[in-house]
Amino acid sequence: MRNYLKQVGTILWKDLLVEFRTRERLITMGAFVVLVAILFNYATDWVRVSPEDIASGLVWMTIMFAGLLGVGRTFHLEAEDGAFQGILLSPVPKDAIFLAKALANFVFLYIVALLVVAVFIFFFGLEVGSNFGMLTIVIGLGVLAFVALGTLFTAVSTGTRMGDTLLPVLIFPLLAPVVIYGTTATSQFFSGRPVTEAEGSIRMLAAFALMAFFLGSWLFRFVVED
Amino acid sequence: MSSKKILLTGTVLAMIGLIWLGAVYWMSFFWVSTEVTQGIAQRIMYVHVPAAWTSFLAFGLAALFSAVYLWLRDERLDRAAVSAAEGGMVFATIMLITGPLWGKIAWGTYWTWEPRLTLTLLLWFIFLGYFLVRSSTENPEKGKRHAAVVAIVGALDIPFIHLSVIWFRSLHPEPVVIKPEGPTLPGDMLTTLLMSLGAFTVLFLGLFLLRYSLENLRSELDTRSRHTSV
Repeated sequence: MRNYLKQVGTILWKDLLVEFRTRERLITMGAFVVLVAILFNYATDWVRVSPEDIASGLVWMTIMFAGLLGVGRTFHLEAEDGAFQGILLSPVPKDAIFLAKALANFVFLYIVALLVVAVFIFFFGLEVGSNFGMLTIVIGLGVLAFVALGTLFTAVSTGTRMGDTLLPVLIFPLLAPVVIYGTTATSQFFSGRPVTEAEGSIRMLAAFALMAFFLGSWLFRFVVED
Repeated sequence: MSSKKILLTGTVLAMIGLIWLGAVYWMSFFWVSTEVTQGIAQRIMYVHVPAAWTSFLAFGLAALFSAVYLWLRDERLDRAAVSAAEGGMVFATIMLITGPLWGKIAWGTYWTWEPRLTLTLLLWFIFLGYFLVRSSTENPEKGKRHAAVVAIVGALDIPFIHLSVIWFRSLHPEPVVIKPEGPTLPGDMLTTLLMSLGAFTVLFLGLFLLRYSLENLRSELDTRSRHTSV
């Protein structure tokens, strides 16, 4: 067990280190979400709709698209150098590789998702008040579910001719529950309703994230075997 | 079963299914009584509901065969999975075409976010992904494995999608809620519906076996052409 955690930790640390030295993905994803928020401002008729009504949907869709952008690059660096073969050949269980990759994606996407929330609060003057802590948990659970399925299916789509273009077709239908429960909970927070009302959504999000991680760590070995 | 027997069984089942389907059409047009509130339009139920049932059966089989394929790595299981998935796509498409047609008359709008309709649409896209993965992978072995992963995740995701779309609906109630398959269905309508369910299921099984034997022939052709080129 201890050895297993160490293996996960080593790969995770490698990915984080590479990213924090180059900052490629974080900068592109960060710029992307701010630009999307700016464009949303001009794409919406603010006379007819108030920000609280649609902000939660916009927040989640922005996270989804930013997630595609970031998760799609999971195996690129290693694929270019042929280094992924090396990782696969090393005596590390495949599920440990999956967990490390998914957790690295989680760190990047969670940072970006919090940026999305901050940008929307800043640009559209939303009030979250005392629910901010719960909001970060809901976003975290949604991001967990996203990176689990995203990492698994990026491994699938990287192996095809279509590459990243296939990724949204594969994961968007599967992620419908994340958007539905995430948006419901978030809109309740934005409209200042008590946390207890969002409890059902939060539980379902947690269950979904758990299932997604279970499926990912079980099925990843079938995707990468050669 | 030998491949000839499969082909024969498939042909016989498909023929029985088609004749049965003809009988169901006759029943639904001339025999069954007309529903009071919706009139003639309600008769589309005898196609819509069985198509939905058959597509779910087919996708379930595809996921099951995929899971066992990953475990045993028998080529025949993969062929069975792709045959079932293709049948599922056909019947899901029928369901998705007849649903809005019925909805336009019954609810006054082509599309409502009715949970079962939404679920089928998302399922349709999941299995579109299944076929895209299969066809766009250079190495066919890899394509089969990857497609099997898509089918398994899709199948296990369905309960979540189902719960969430119902949940979404409960927040946005529709003014008119029509439950075509309520337990209050009168006797002759129930008979017609059950007959139709039988016809669709048998037809699907027939098509599935035909498709499966075609897949067998394809792989045999592949092996032989490889032998001659060597």
